[in-house]
Amino acid sequence: MSMNKSDSDHLLVATGISKSFGRVEALAPLNMTISQGERVALAGPSGSGKTTLLYLLAGIIQPDAGELLLAGQNLARQRPGKEKAGLVGLIHQQYDLVPHLPVLHNVLAGRLGQWSLFRSMISLVWPQDRQVAEEALAQMGIADKIHERTSHLSGGEQQRVAIARLMVQGSRVILADEPVSSLDPVRADDMLEILTALAGGSGRALVASIHSPRLMRKHFTRVIGLREGHLEFDIPAAEVTDRVFERLYDLDQSEAAVWGGGN
Amino acid sequence: MGGRELKLLESRRLLTLLLAGVFLWSLSTVDWRGPIIHTGGLAAFLDFLASLFPPELSPGFLGLALSASWQTLAYAVAGITLAVLIGFPLGVIASGSVSGSIRTGLGLAVAVRLILAAMRSIHELVWAVLFVAAFGLSSLTVILALALPYSGILGRIYGELFNQVPEGPLRALRASGASPFRVLLYGRLPMALPDMLGYTFYRLECAIRSAAIMSFVGIRGLGYEIQLSLHDLLFDQVWTLLLFMVGMVVLVDMWSSRVRRSLVS
Ligand SMILES: Nc1ncnc2c1ncn2[C@@H]1O[C@H](COP(=O)(O)OP(=O)(O)OP(=O)(O)O)[C@@H](O)[C@H]1O
Ligand SMILES: [Mg+2]
Repeated sequence: MSMNKSDSDHLLVATGISKSFGRVEALAPLNMTISQGERVALAGPSGSGKTTLLYLLAGIIQPDAGELLLAGQNLARQRPGKEKAGLVGLIHQQYDLVPHLPVLHNVLAGRLGQWSLFRSMISLVWPQDRQVAEEALAQMGIADKIHERTSHLSGGEQQRVAIARLMVQGSRVILADEPVSSLDPVRADDMLEILTALAGGSGRALVASIHSPRLMRKHFTRVIGLREGHLEFDIPAAEVTDRVFERLYDLDQSEAAVWGGGN
Repeated sequence: MGGRELKLLESRRLLTLLLAGVFLWSLSTVDWRGPIIHTGGLAAFLDFLASLFPPELSPGFLGLALSASWQTLAYAVAGITLAVLIGFPLGVIASGSVSGSIRTGLGLAVAVRLILAAMRSIHELVWAVLFVAAFGLSSLTVILALALPYSGILGRIYGELFNQVPEGPLRALRASGASPFRVLLYGRLPMALPDMLGYTFYRLECAIRSAAIMSFVGIRGLGYEIQLSLHDLLFDQVWTLLLFMVGMVVLVDMWSSRVRRSLVS
């Protein structure tokens, strides 16, 4: 394939990726392309496959079929390491920090893909790259929590720790699974601004699952709608009217019967 | 799915019935004709109880009890320390969580689990008999005899604890580019550590007990003194020694909860 301008803009190209768990088709074969500078919202009711898609993009689970290219490389099947960590980073629905470790080490875990094994080991005793972690925590406004045991932090603070870890990791594509589901509206806006800033700049992109059309229009450039593992729409955020949104989420009875029978 | 669950339920019921049957059968093997409690023994037992008031408290004997306790405790601590050193790496391998290739990791894990099972299936006294033959009545004999079965126990438990930690944080570490060994260092180990420590301390209590009964193969210590005093029917001395034994276990228990508390805060 020739590398024209638009090809190199593509950070992430998925061709026919699909995933089933036993008999449940979590994601039907899906094509999508995410270019640098894009902020993509994933929408869809519970069980529609949003988390599955994000995990596939993050390389945490492998697709049953199809191909996934990250910055032109097929890294999806590679072992974890520096390259992949530098390309995609994921912030989870439950922030998934190690509760027993001090905040500092949870943030520095973002470096584990880059550090040598030896460095990873001694960092537990003499923290390495400490300044990077301090700066990230300061940006998140929780610099004073650096030595606190992570389980002692509030949910909102833990989310900030998880984002600080993502900052330290420095990946180009930021994936976020329901980053605002437990936040009040004001904090939700703050959080999305932080993520937008993190995924801003050249060569970067953001993909996040979101349930509010207001937040989609305000913070995202594009919206992908999923239902029962199938792509429903892939449209610019400005086109997400409440009607489009309701149709994605509110199945009336006859439609539900069709979808249920289709499985 | 439903069918399989039903089958499982049925086989579980079958197993319960089978076990109940075995229990009933085992009752029939007991000889119920004679008295279950030996009547002459009762008087001896009451005699033994009475000598608790008071136990032997002469300074000379307390000194002896203290040094015997110290010796037993030292054996137990040394044995458990060695068991931790052996059991930890074996537990890591047994958990099957740190190999790059799943195939070799699983093969190794099965092999190590077999070794661990072999180590703990042989009682510490049996190991002691073997080691006495090799090294004589030395400290090395006791420490090795304790360390081997306890490595088997600790290794197995450590391996299980490594695998029982929540998956979410591990997944997040992998997503940050961490290799399996780094996931162990930053995820499995810190999350499993409180339970590992608690369990190791509990096993230290057991090891004190085990170190004491090493007297059966002629090793000095608290058990040895108990045996001597029992032999001479000096029950007040036996009581003193037993109280020291209990005291040691209580001390270890207190130490354990202090360590764990400091870990949490
Ligand atoms: N590890 C798994 N094992 C079995 N089934 C799974 C697994 N992960 C997801 N599924 C199934 O795949 C489907 C899609 O799940 P997924 O978690 O992607 O949905 P979601 O859109 O993230 O839902 P939610 O909004 O509730 O988080 C569901 O039917 C779910 O039960
Ligand atoms: Mg989800």
